[in-house]
Order: sequence, then structure tokens, then C-alpha cells
Amino acid sequence: MGKAERGALAQGLVRCHACGHLAKLRRARHCPVCGGVLHARRPHSLQHTLALLISSYALYIPANIFPIMTVNQFGVIERHTIIGGIFALVEKDMAPIAALVFIASIMVPLLKLLGLSALLLNVRLRWQRHPQWWMRMYRLIVFVGRWSMLDIFMISILVAVVDLSGGVSQVIAGPAATAFAAVVVLTMLAAKSLDPRLIWDKQNKL
Amino acid sequence: MTHPPDACPECDLLLRPSRPIVGEKIVCPRCGYLLHSPREQSVERVLALSVAGLILAGPANFLPLIGITFLGNSHEGTLWAGTAGLFAEGFWLVAALVFLSSIFVPLLNISLALLISLHLHFNRPHHLLAHWMRWLQHLEEWAMLEVYMLGIIVACVKLSDTADVQLGFGLYAFVALLLVNVMLTGSLDGYLFWQRIAELRRKLHGQG
Ligand SMILES: [Zn+2]
Ligand SMILES: [Zn+2]
Repeated sequence: MGKAERGALAQGLVRCHACGHLAKLRRARHCPVCGGVLHARRPHSLQHTLALLISSYALYIPANIFPIMTVNQFGVIERHTIIGGIFALVEKDMAPIAALVFIASIMVPLLKLLGLSALLLNVRLRWQRHPQWWMRMYRLIVFVGRWSMLDIFMISILVAVVDLSGGVSQVIAGPAATAFAAVVVLTMLAAKSLDPRLIWDKQNKL
Repeated sequence: MTHPPDACPECDLLLRPSRPIVGEKIVCPRCGYLLHSPREQSVERVLALSVAGLILAGPANFLPLIGITFLGNSHEGTLWAGTAGLFAEGFWLVAALVFLSSIFVPLLNISLALLISLHLHFNRPHHLLAHWMRWLQHLEEWAMLEVYMLGIIVACVKLSDTADVQLGFGLYAFVALLLVNVMLTGSLDGYLFWQRIAELRRKLHGQG
């Protein structure tokens, strides 16, 4: 690896997070182009990611054991957990939709939790053997993050459409909805606070 | 022609990229990050699309997305009613999140894009331009119209088991708003926008 493989920070340059302007390290605290605060790396990146990740793990448990949705039809109350809702779809011969919900509500949050934990360990312990491979995982986590909102949005539509006032049928959100929504937001924030450049810093000679 | 030296935002590799022409893409040679892909008439397209988005936002929010008929009872649901219903049931955190990601942030993003592109198009400097642009970049991932669209599809399939589902006019407006949003994100050339904002900033400081 020659000089060309070196990172900007190793050569005393800092890239502005917002506008991309390249400034000399320690010459200015604020970007001369956009006025944003200059940081070589996102400050306390690993600590923030770890804190958000631990909170997500804690909320992941109630999100999966409590009902996420309650359907009241002719006075018969049915409570669905996330998994239960997927099984109900399979029983009604809606396997493709069940697969979709399974991917968005079970696979994606698990991938985010485990993937971010692995990334955190990778950066903290400076394994960093195959940064290309870790980078691909980081981008996958960032890309799929928002799609776990699927279940929450579906419930919001059911709540809006299924008659609330004196109808024979009613849909009410369950306690798991709050926990699950929090998991989605916290894991998105955890991915956002992890600075991807840390994955490359061994290659950057830092 | 070459750009000034640049660093990759995702791996910090120091680069000396050449200036791409429209249709070309400059990618980081190490991590594959898309550094710059210039678009034709980026400012004008963003301006036109954000006006279209603002016009569509009203019907998309307040006209019924879907309606159901169940045992002779029919009922319609709007985007707005989804948030209001969750709030009424006491799930205010979930309601707030749905409100932000399906209504507020998409609308805020379109408004910011309109403000920025208006100033750039008419070469009017403004001391908040850089702030607006930073907000727009931060908020982009919190607008989730396409995920909401998938939620509508799943809800329709679920409901079609027990009730008759009708598509409302609001749904067409919502799909159009979603497409406008996707095109807006695709037409916004961040590199060019920051360059123009920096020029206007110099103009502002030169005058004052
Ligand atoms: Zn800047
Ligand atoms: Zn790179």
C-alpha cells in the first residue's frame, strides 16, 4: 500500500460532514463553506452506537412477546403478536405477503441488531481484515433500516380504515407497537451514529 | 478540468477526481461510494418537482386512500386518520413517528427543496441556505413514503379477506407524491447545490 491508499485525516485534512469541503485539520472549528462544525470522525461514534444498540436489544424482547395489534370483531377479541400475525397470514393462504412481513419485521431488525454488534466489535477490536466486506454489510443495514416500519404503517392504515365508531369491527394497536417502533428508530440512529470511516482506519494508517 | 482534492465521505480515501460530464458517475475506487453524478438542469428540475409535490400533498393527506365495505357498512381511511386514530387510542409515540415519517418530514423536505432551488435559480443569497441544505440531507432518510405504500398494499390484502376494498382518490395522489419525491431525490445534484451555495455565500459576504 503506497501513499495513494492513505486517508485524508492521515494527511491532516478533514472533510466537512455536510458539504464535503476539505479543510486543514485544526485550522478552523467551523467549515468555511457551509458553517457546519468540523470533525475528523463523528465524535463518540462507538459509544453512541453501543448505547443505542443496547437499548434496542432491551426493547426487542417486549416488541416480540406482547401483542402488536388487537382485532375486535363481533365482540370477539383477537390479539396478534408479530409472529402470530405472520402465521395468521400463512393460514389464510397469503404466503407471499406473510414472507414480506416476515422479512420486514423479523429478519431486518435481527440483521440490524446482530450486524451492528458485529461491526462494533470489528471496529473496536480492529480486526478490519476485509473492510470491503464489512462496508457492504454497513450499507445493507443502512438501506434496509426503514423497511421495518412496514408493520407499524400497516397497523396505522387498519386503524384508520376499520370503523372506530360503533362498527362491528375495530383494530387497536398493541403495547408491542410502541416497543417495535422504538427498536426501528433506535437501530436507525445506531447505524447513523456509526462512522463508516472507522472501518477503514487501519487501511488509512491511523 | 479537475475538481479540488476531495475525500471519500465513507472511507476517507484522499481523491483527486476529474470533473464528470452529465450521465457519468464518479465512484470511490476503494469503497465504491457514489461521489458525484451530475444531472442536467438539476436546480430547475428540483424547483418544478417540489412545486408539484406541494400541490399533491393536500389531496394525498386528506382524501381517502382506501375504503372498505363490510356487511353493508362502509368506511374510508385517510393518511391523516391513521395518525389521528393511533393518537386517539393512546399510542402517541407510534402516532408521532407515523406522523413524522409519512406526513411531516416528506412535506418539510419538499418545502426545503423548494426554498433552496428558488434561491439558487434566482441567484438570491440567503444566510440560511447552508442550514436548509444540511437539514434536507439529514432528514432525507426519515421520509418513508415508499414503505408506507407497501404498508397500504399489505393492509389491502389483509382486508380483502373479509371486506370489499375500494381504492380512493387520495391513493392516486399519494402514489404521485411518492413518485415526485423519488424523482426529486434523483434530480438533486448535491455537489452542484453545495457549489452554488458556496458561490452565493461569497456574494453575500462580498456585499456586506
Ligand atoms: Zn461544510
Ligand atoms: Zn470510499
